[in-house]
Amino acid sequence: MNIVARIKSACMRESSFFMALPAFIWQLIFLYVPLIFVIVASFMKVDEKLSLGALTLEHYASFTDPLYWVVIGRSLLLAMCAAIACGIMAYPVAYYIALRATRWKNVLLFFLILPFWINLLVQVYAWFFVLEKNGLVNTVLLKLGIIAEPLRLLNTPFAIFIVMLYCYLPFMAMPIYSILERFNQRLIEASLDLGATPWQTFMRVTLPMSLPGLKTGFFLVFVPSFGEFVIPVLTGGGKKLFVGSMISLYYLDAGDTQLGAAFTMLSGVVLLIVSLFLNWLFKRIVRVSAGGQ
Amino acid sequence: MMKKQALARGFGLPISVGLVYFFLYIPIIVVIVFSFNDAHYAYVWRGFTTRWYYELWHSAEVWDALTNSLIVACSAVVLSLTMGVLVVWHGSHTALARLFPLFYGTLAAPEIVLAVGLLTLFSALDVELGFTSLIAAHTLLGLGYVVPMVHARFSNLDKTLTEASLDLGATRGQTFFKVILPLLFPSLFAAGLLVFIISLDDFLISFFCSGATAQTLPMYIFSMIRAGSTPVVNALSTVMLVVSSIFVLGFSWIQVRRMGMRGVRL
Repeated sequence: MNIVARIKSACMRESSFFMALPAFIWQLIFLYVPLIFVIVASFMKVDEKLSLGALTLEHYASFTDPLYWVVIGRSLLLAMCAAIACGIMAYPVAYYIALRATRWKNVLLFFLILPFWINLLVQVYAWFFVLEKNGLVNTVLLKLGIIAEPLRLLNTPFAIFIVMLYCYLPFMAMPIYSILERFNQRLIEASLDLGATPWQTFMRVTLPMSLPGLKTGFFLVFVPSFGEFVIPVLTGGGKKLFVGSMISLYYLDAGDTQLGAAFTMLSGVVLLIVSLFLNWLFKRIVRVSAGGQ
Repeated sequence: MMKKQALARGFGLPISVGLVYFFLYIPIIVVIVFSFNDAHYAYVWRGFTTRWYYELWHSAEVWDALTNSLIVACSAVVLSLTMGVLVVWHGSHTALARLFPLFYGTLAAPEIVLAVGLLTLFSALDVELGFTSLIAAHTLLGLGYVVPMVHARFSNLDKTLTEASLDLGATRGQTFFKVILPLLFPSLFAAGLLVFIISLDDFLISFFCSGATAQTLPMYIFSMIRAGSTPVVNALSTVMLVVSSIFVLGFSWIQVRRMGMRGVRL
């Protein structure tokens, strides 16, 4: 083979390599380098130049204070409640659209996905009208004579929970829907034909088969709501801190980058451990429910 | 007894579905209704008006924020699509393809961690927060969607198409523009639209990376909500609701049409 052609093809390969680089460089500089920066910052003494002598564990040592664990625990509890409530609410809808709806299927699906595309802040803002002192819920309850005084709904943990449930519902509904959609309906018929009641069929056939969708949905809700910032800040009144608001407090208000970085790392590790544990739990449930059949 | 139970079950499911849809749409309907409310601070109905829409149209702040949002979103779409297509086309047949999972990191990391990391980076490098930092951050978000989506489509393409084109004497460049790009177009369109909407929607990363100069639309809404509601935000919310619905409708229409066309052709 002549040498010119070889050089040409080598150049082609090289240029190919260089054309592929920008995306990788972008990804490295703006995702992986910053992550390393955060990790390094969490081990750095305040106001010192980067060197081995400036490394310290003092920020992590401050986590013996239960205050930090209260914030993390509160966020975990909220994320867990939101994910479970989303599952309970999304399941019947996904089930109905996937297995029962006929003519209105596409319309129902459209209106289920639509809120997902609405700006998060608009979604949160809309809830002010429902939960305010003079808002919809209080007005209706007062008119019906169920309560004498308007309830305080906004700026409570309940408000955070409801709005979180609202904003993350599509994340739960879609994975469940897509797994039920592919579900072979003959299995239900077979189960009914063989004498199982509808309830037994649901518990022993449909539900176990849709567990993977529930699991995906659970993590799609659980992980982002653990670090959620906007919803607790706007609807929670800002008195109770959550992981997201605590991190932003360190970075944007207190300017304590090192402690903020350490807290980010700590909550990240806790989230990872809890997620791994829940993943293991889900696997066990799947195995047990499969074994029960 | 059995019949009664079956009847209850037969209605139980549709009723619970109805309740969920009620829950999903009641806040949206209330916002739309109150955007026509002729009152300043009250959540009480005081009569019909369209003046908040008039004020919205004449609000310089809203137009500035919208312009900023559009500049950032369009730049992020163009940058992430260009780099994404280049990396898929040039990287797929080299050893770099093994590194593609690196692009999934953006979606796996919690958003607050991305925001904090980017802020640390920009302050360490003394980059002034503004359009540059915002566009860099949103392009990163975009790459996380573009590369997996376009790569998935590219892997499903028939490899023989490229080979046939090269065998028939086209250069790699010609093959790319005349064969591959048209075939990738649906996934490029979908990915571009997704990045556009995600960029317009993003609050948290913008909040950390934009400084005082480049306020985006979600940041404007956030500051307005914090300052206490004004009816202009109701009007703005309604407009954004309508625009989102049109987007989703258009998108589903395209998908339905594409599925129909595929059905006819194959």
